[in-house]
Amino acid sequence: MRRREFIAASSFMMMQAVEQPVQNFAPMDQGAYRPVKLTAKAGATPQLTIEARDALEHRLKCMCGCSLDIYTCRTTDFTCPLSPAMHRDVVGLIDGGHTADEILDAFTAVYGEQVLMAPKKTGFNWAGYVMPFVALATGAAGLTLLLKRWTARAAAVAAVSTLPVAAGGTDDELARLAAAVRDDGGEDE
Amino acid sequence: MILLGELSLWVALLMATWSGLVSFAGGALRRPDLVASGERATYAAFGFVVLSSLGLWTALLQSDFSLSYVAQYTSLNLPTVYKFSAFWGGQAGSMLFWCLILSMYGAIAVFANRSQHRVLMPWVTGTMATTLVFFLVTTAIASNPFERLPFPPPDGRGLNPQLQIPAMAIHPPNLYLGYVATTVPFAFAIAALITRRLDAEWLGAVRKWALVSWFFLTIGIVLGMWWAYVELGWGGVWMWDPVENASLLPWLTGTAFLHSIMIQEKRGMLRKWNVTLVVSTFLLAILGTFITRSGVIQSVHSFAQSGVGNWFLVALVIAFVVSAVLVSTRLKDLETPAQLESMLSREAAFLYNNLVLIGIAFSVLWGTLFPILSEWVRGEKITVGAPFFNAVNIPLALLLMALTGVGPLIAWRRASPKNLQRQFTMPLFGGLATGAVLLALGMRDVYALVCYTIGGFVITTISQEFVKGLGARRTIHGESWPVAALRLIGRNRRRYGGYIVHFGVVVMFAALAGAAFKKEFDVQLKAGESFTATDPWGDEWKFTSQGVSYFEALNRKVLAVALRPEKNGVVQPLIRSEKRQHVDAFDRNTFEPSTEVGILETAGQDVYMVFAGAPPGSDDPVAEIRVTFNPLMVWVWWGGIIMALGGLIVMWPQADRITRESGYAAEMKPQAVGAAS
Repeated sequence: MRRREFIAASSFMMMQAVEQPVQNFAPMDQGAYRPVKLTAKAGATPQLTIEARDALEHRLKCMCGCSLDIYTCRTTDFTCPLSPAMHRDVVGLIDGGHTADEILDAFTAVYGEQVLMAPKKTGFNWAGYVMPFVALATGAAGLTLLLKRWTARAAAVAAVSTLPVAAGGTDDELARLAAAVRDDGGEDE
Repeated sequence: MILLGELSLWVALLMATWSGLVSFAGGALRRPDLVASGERATYAAFGFVVLSSLGLWTALLQSDFSLSYVAQYTSLNLPTVYKFSAFWGGQAGSMLFWCLILSMYGAIAVFANRSQHRVLMPWVTGTMATTLVFFLVTTAIASNPFERLPFPPPDGRGLNPQLQIPAMAIHPPNLYLGYVATTVPFAFAIAALITRRLDAEWLGAVRKWALVSWFFLTIGIVLGMWWAYVELGWGGVWMWDPVENASLLPWLTGTAFLHSIMIQEKRGMLRKWNVTLVVSTFLLAILGTFITRSGVIQSVHSFAQSGVGNWFLVALVIAFVVSAVLVSTRLKDLETPAQLESMLSREAAFLYNNLVLIGIAFSVLWGTLFPILSEWVRGEKITVGAPFFNAVNIPLALLLMALTGVGPLIAWRRASPKNLQRQFTMPLFGGLATGAVLLALGMRDVYALVCYTIGGFVITTISQEFVKGLGARRTIHGESWPVAALRLIGRNRRRYGGYIVHFGVVVMFAALAGAAFKKEFDVQLKAGESFTATDPWGDEWKFTSQGVSYFEALNRKVLAVALRPEKNGVVQPLIRSEKRQHVDAFDRNTFEPSTEVGILETAGQDVYMVFAGAPPGSDDPVAEIRVTFNPLMVWVWWGGIIMALGGLIVMWPQADRITRESGYAAEMKPQAVGAAS
């Protein structure tokens, strides 16, 4: 195979994406493409710049199974036929005068919420966003309380250990008192 | 040799089973003869797994396509080094590789403790052997690399092109060495729980193993980042894929353990917490393997879906239940009279550091599993990708980095206000000055600004610690700077090795923050055509296409394009990116075309070039090219190297080794065991 043939062959493969065996990598789902179309707005003018379009494509997942967003996939995996097709849909919707939110909604309506690279901040999805911080805050509060208890315990023991023997009683009594103040056997961690 | 390898797999299984049974029996019945037999069986199991591995390697190197695994992952024209690394390139081979490392660690652990920790060792050996039995059974039954084909093909399919890169030859072994090393601390924890010897003894035995695990996981993760960067072509190092997350989880909990162990060593506190961390690290390693191999979560590089995932799920549940039962029945033994002199102490700082590490581990796990949870609750599939993880984890990572600088500044037990003022003045000044300078220079990205400010704080902290230590040595011993530096680190390896690790973390974080300033350009160029671009540093670049070339290499056909860059008018080395079509020995295409990126690496940034392709129909094709300026990228790798170096210093054996005890028989006397229990 010479250069021209190879160029032709590789380009063909890029367009056709023939089914190939894969190892360790999730197989590409060729049939996942669904057209996303909306009627163009009257007197439509594009609402998004190219940078805004690329940013929007970073928020939409390529459905070929690569786990990448549309922009990254179409500029990285040049054998993927889906991300260019999805990109064309994005461009079509932008040309139709639709805003970023409208385009996200249109893709969600066709593919479901899994087309979004991050879940929408609504309903149960809030749990996804908030839970790590709630867990951390709860942990921090719990740890602070625990540390305060430990410091109080240390202070009490220190106070007992500095009492003069004559004022406190016998060594045996003091040892019992120290153990009681230390709360030996209680929860410690 | 291949048949011997196949048979050895089964004999190894027998040996491991025997080792587990007699070790547990020896520990329970206090029979040194059974314990010794179990330990010998551990060595034997290792020997047979080595034989089995040699069998598979022989088949791979000889291209014996009668084995399904060899036909699936190699081809006649595959370079020898990749035939060798194909051992861990697929599901079945990597399972055997796991067995190889696990049996090796088991043998090392038994040998290293042949005359110490004798009460613990039967249970350690038994737990290691039981784990090995699980992996050997899974390998032999569910994923056997010696499975034969009825009709051997004339050539194999070959190794995925994206795995034909030196980094991929060493990235999986490092990850496996890290993952599997979590088994030894886990085995010691189980042994300590069973025998109720939960003082610092078992911790001393596992600290080095925890460091080994951390060291290899660090190298493995950084190599994985490098592989993603140079091979996948999307220009980043971390995409929060479930498999990447799976490697991060045990690293995070392992790091937390390496900090909290110091508190138990110094103060005798945190027994429950340390046991929990050790067990969690092991369980997370298994969970990660389950995620990777089950296909339960969509991932870009999951192993093909197979029944192996179910085996790991069962193992995970069993290990969790056993650990939970043991911990819950030993709560009283795990209790210690915890006291803390002050909230302003290094102990408290370490605990908050632990909290943040675990918080990040939780958020990564939560994000990884949230799609499953969402589907259960709402019946709606969702994607949790990089935007989610970045939103949640970047603030936590910055908080962690700040604590990295705070910990060393606070004294153990209690820090006085005067002490704090003295310690914090310079680092705070260093951090704020860094932030102010960057702000004045026009940096406006909030996260990057915060990252560099905290980075300045931490680096000043570390510098201050080194300067103080060096100054003290020079004053007391009159040493030169280099000698003082070598002795300072050599005689306080844990402390200063730890600082070096922290320095590496800052370097890596600072480099990753550079991604905020990356710039991308998509262009189409014919031979001789140019385009100009301004990089994030404000320098002017001109790239001139040298045209598209075609050639054939060992196992591939290559279409390449080269760019001649000029920076501010000064010619730079050529950058070349390739599009490759891999073929087998019969010139048949084996995989989809792959892309090799071109990188011009400098200290300030990488110029990262990807050749998208060239539409057909002309002898002078137009090359579609993406050029990206990735600021500070080289420092990601240097950060990783520094971290690994620091880890190596920390785990390097000290001269004052612990005197070995007098032999297991003496310690295994009934009265000794009785006293222990």
